[in-house]
Amino acid sequence: MDVGQQLIILLEGVSLTLSISIISFLVGIAIGFPLAFIRVYEREVGFVVDAYEKIFRGVPELVLMLMFYFGLGPFFPFPFNNAFFVAAFVLGLRSGANQSQIYRGAIRGVGDEQMIAGQSVGLSKWGAIWHIMAPQVFTYSTPGLGSEYALLIKDSAYAYVIGGLAEIMTQAIRIKSIPPYDVITPFVLAAILYIALTFPIAFWLDRWGNKRKQKIGL
Amino acid sequence: MTDIVMEAKNVYKTYGKSSKKADVKLVEAVKNVSLQIRKGDIKLIFGPSGSGKSTFLRCLAMLDIPDKGEIYLGDECLTKPGVDLNKARAKIGFVFQHIYLFRHLTALGNVELALRRVLKMPKEEARERAVAALAEVKVTDCANKYPAQMSGGQAQRVGIARALARNPDIILLDEPTSALDPELTGEVIDTLRDLAKEGTTMLIVSHEMPFARDVAEEMIFYDEGKIVETGPPSLFFNAPSTDRAKRFMDRIIKRTTRE
Repeated sequence: MDVGQQLIILLEGVSLTLSISIISFLVGIAIGFPLAFIRVYEREVGFVVDAYEKIFRGVPELVLMLMFYFGLGPFFPFPFNNAFFVAAFVLGLRSGANQSQIYRGAIRGVGDEQMIAGQSVGLSKWGAIWHIMAPQVFTYSTPGLGSEYALLIKDSAYAYVIGGLAEIMTQAIRIKSIPPYDVITPFVLAAILYIALTFPIAFWLDRWGNKRKQKIGL
Repeated sequence: MTDIVMEAKNVYKTYGKSSKKADVKLVEAVKNVSLQIRKGDIKLIFGPSGSGKSTFLRCLAMLDIPDKGEIYLGDECLTKPGVDLNKARAKIGFVFQHIYLFRHLTALGNVELALRRVLKMPKEEARERAVAALAEVKVTDCANKYPAQMSGGQAQRVGIARALARNPDIILLDEPTSALDPELTGEVIDTLRDLAKEGTTMLIVSHEMPFARDVAEEMIFYDEGKIVETGPPSLFFNAPSTDRAKRFMDRIIKRTTRE
């Protein structure tokens, strides 16, 4: 099998790698964004957010994935028997913990004054969070979000361990097992692919964020 | 029904000012302060920095919750538990020393936001009202600019428009000119003079003495968390009865004439 054929097999994995990372990124936003605001503005329940962050940042993704897929899968076949769901969900939970910290830093960066100004015109606390803080916090977070997304692309390779998902890493290992059992080229190609996937998105997010930040003087 | 728009009754506010957790320094910013403002009143609070004027103003708007005492907006007691403060704040305009425009919105967006989201006006009506408010403070040309693209004076006038557009019962202004470059204070002061002419009810923390003399009906000298002396501008410019007010006026007039 020559390099071209190997590349074709690997490229077949790109769409799955991308879907796992994009979906887990969105799950991470859905979890992390509200958590950050709860942590800052609802002090009484802040410890719950803390615990969540500690657990999902502390436990290796690999352990979580195996735990959810092989541990929960047999008891709750729906949805934990679905390899794609488990991969995206677990990475999303982890990303939510990471993103919560990114957004929390951004909330501090945007500043409490914006919140007070929002309340001064009659908005409720959560009204001010939604209309005033959220858009600015998101803009402020973009460089951090770029690297978080890059992390997810890389970590989607863990999905290999639960099997049945033909993402880039799984494809590379498949190539390795096909004669002539090339153990170097598929992984070098996979490495290049991963870089090609992470770099432009992180770069673009960073640039978009900086432009937007400049415009609003953040 | 009285014509009292806002009233503070025996208000106290102490806050902890700490750099480290170990030595929390308690600052008594407001100590038993009472004040009545009637419809159409223009009152001006002045006094040394750090004396608690801003805290008192924030207490009036319930942006800081007083420790003790009562705040009334018209007949409604805002310090009673269970009062909808958001609804009350919608009827109070607040202008900040450091302006605090919403950075992600244009001037128009800044003014429109509360009209749409708080007063729930339809889009067109809110737009109309916002355009009118911007015109009133003469910053129509900034309508589509973001705060970062405006000068300090323009931004503060947008800040005033933001407070004004809701037709609030009263506008509280916390040193609206003191964070601006000296050459920009004039345009903001002119705006305030216009508002005064229209009979807007205002409580202003400011050290702009010529402005105070022209428009304030009552000046309030505030020091160390208390109202020390109250009277018409003529009293303060001629012969304040307390020593503290006298010394402060001397200093401030000397400073203004030197400039």
